[in-house]
Amino acid sequence: MKFFGLYKNTQVFKIALIVAIVVIGYIASVFYTQMQKLDTSVELIASSNKTQYELEKLLSIMGNYEMSLRNYIITQNEVYLEDRFLNRGEIEACIKNLKKIAGNDSAKIKDIDSLKKLIDYRFKLFRDLLLIQKSPRKNTSELYIKLLESSSCTESMHAFVYKRINAEISKIKRYNTNHQFELNDSIISAFLLVLLSLLILLLSFNKMNVDINELKKTNDELKFTNLSFKNAEQIAGFGHWKYNLVKNTYTFSDNFYRLMGVEPRAFEPSLENVGKFLHPDDYNSVMEVHKQSLIDHQPTSIMLRYLLQDGTVKYIMSVGSFTRNSNGDLVKIGVNYDITAQYKKTLEIEESNKQLKTINAELESFNNIVSHDLQEPLRKIQMFVSRLEEKEIDLLTPNGKEYFVKIRLAANKMQTLLIDLLNYSRVAKGDKIFVKLNLKDLVEQCIQDLSVDIEEKKAEIEVMDLPEINGIGFQMEQLFVNLISNSLKYSKENIPPKISIKSEKISGKEMYNSKIISNTDYHKIVVSDNGIGFKQEYADKVFQLFKRLETDSKYTGTGIGLAICKKIMENHNGFIKVKSRPSVGTKFSLFFPK
Amino acid sequence: MTNNLTPLQIFLADDDEDDRIFFSEAIEDIRMKNKLTLFNNGKDLMDYLLDSDASLPDILFLDLNMPYKNGLECLKEIRADNRFKDVSIAIYSTSSSEEDIENTFIEGANIYIKKPNDFSELKKVIKGVFQMNWQFHISGLNKETFFFSI
Repeated sequence: MKFFGLYKNTQVFKIALIVAIVVIGYIASVFYTQMQKLDTSVELIASSNKTQYELEKLLSIMGNYEMSLRNYIITQNEVYLEDRFLNRGEIEACIKNLKKIAGNDSAKIKDIDSLKKLIDYRFKLFRDLLLIQKSPRKNTSELYIKLLESSSCTESMHAFVYKRINAEISKIKRYNTNHQFELNDSIISAFLLVLLSLLILLLSFNKMNVDINELKKTNDELKFTNLSFKNAEQIAGFGHWKYNLVKNTYTFSDNFYRLMGVEPRAFEPSLENVGKFLHPDDYNSVMEVHKQSLIDHQPTSIMLRYLLQDGTVKYIMSVGSFTRNSNGDLVKIGVNYDITAQYKKTLEIEESNKQLKTINAELESFNNIVSHDLQEPLRKIQMFVSRLEEKEIDLLTPNGKEYFVKIRLAANKMQTLLIDLLNYSRVAKGDKIFVKLNLKDLVEQCIQDLSVDIEEKKAEIEVMDLPEINGIGFQMEQLFVNLISNSLKYSKENIPPKISIKSEKISGKEMYNSKIISNTDYHKIVVSDNGIGFKQEYADKVFQLFKRLETDSKYTGTGIGLAICKKIMENHNGFIKVKSRPSVGTKFSLFFPK
Repeated sequence: MTNNLTPLQIFLADDDEDDRIFFSEAIEDIRMKNKLTLFNNGKDLMDYLLDSDASLPDILFLDLNMPYKNGLECLKEIRADNRFKDVSIAIYSTSSSEEDIENTFIEGANIYIKKPNDFSELKKVIKGVFQMNWQFHISGLNKETFFFSI
């Protein structure tokens, strides 16, 4: 596995390849010198063989001359002297050849020179013998002496030549052994060379195979990634593009074309062709931003519109940035995505927001009219009622007096209702300026404000230590005034109300809207009373606008007070809960975020 | 300010006829020596005041919501003129909105009265204002004491 890892490492493989090539080069040069040596030894052997041949040829020519002379002496027939007898030409050719073979070897040239002297001497003897034989007074003894001399000269020539030949033979033998060795070496070198080459070839082939497989795998993965990317582009509605600043070429993805409402590769990827799809109103600004970015290489983010061939308008977000590709060319790459749906939705939201604001403003002014402008005539009614009551009441019958009282009560009730409505709209509108509030001081102030009612009901109010919270001053006052007056309002007949306002630790089980409320996040303040209470099932109803549980005329509620409390708590990112039991009492819990 | 020898000069600028009647009836009932002058709107009031011969009121009751020239505009003009520095101004309005109270306080009104819903209460309020120690009230003026309640 480790080897395979090394094998896969191209760097290591490259180094191995270089080493192998160096080794092959070395072996090849060794092989070349061996072959060169072999060549010279072959040449040497050839020249030795030639020398032998020339020497033997010389001997045989000389032998022929000798035989011809003998035959002449014996037969006295001149025929034997005719055929090229004593022709120096042949001999000279042999000597020349020998000298050519010897080359620059001075020892050999000396040998040849001494051989030539011997031959010259022998030729002299030939001529002497011929002269003796041809003379009319033939001296037989002198002939014998010359013949003997000739024989010994021939023998010494033979001896000389054979000595030379033997020397050449032994030389050849030596050369041959060397040659044999060199041949062996060369074979080994050649074998090694072939073996190594084969090994490298095999390794290379294998490595190539491995690489190709790897490439195939990578290619497959790339294909898959590409396909996924194309799918993703289509699903997510974006297309990407590239611009090579060096080669001045654009590349567009398939979905880039689809965004423009055409088939992939419907036109040559170029800026001009894309420009045809730009909304005419956007054309100049988009081109300017793009071209500027090609100068300063800053990323771009452009919102633009396509005007498609079928006339539809698409809103497109186009972002681009610069990078370098593997060739080192500067490339601007970008993504265009279709934000038409988003854009339209934003427009819709903006539109409905506007509508909501108008409706809200209308509601507010309506509320203002209802609560404020209605107070004016109501006040008049109340004034005239009080005028009548003061001056004219005695003129009425007892029935009339009773109706009159009812008119006054109804008018007063309407006034409370209008004031509550005004308060509610004030809270809902909310100038939300949060300040640090000391709740204990604030509650004391509320009690002060309600002192008339408290005295009238003979209520007992207990205020314990309360935390500081961040809140809107007048809303907090409103909250506690509403809660305390609620307790005063719904108290039991003939039993003085007891109201307690205190801070409580949040137990682990506290929940609101299936969210766990913990002591670390919230303050809990409890306002409890011993009033008439209500059934727990109505707990949610009491906080709804105009929802009243008690409709008996002795309870003067408007159904707005607790709705205001709920609204105030919402304004403070808190909430209000209520626990109540009929004829036992009610306990409101307020939760303020810390 | 109250003194039994010279009658108290009272001005009321209010566009509502009923309110003018209620006010004058209430003042009659109080039986205090005073001289009440009524104006139907802010413009009439200012036209009168800017006439250099005019006798100036001790207390001016000023409604806010009036045609031609509203109470706040009158208040600004009066407080801008040094001639009227001794005139005590009581805002007399149906509104009890924070905004109106705040604005008139800033512009230099001396007291803010919400028009009562009950005639006897109106009498109490007017009486209270007449008997007020203005010197003391003005020196200790703040937003809490500005809004007049019985």
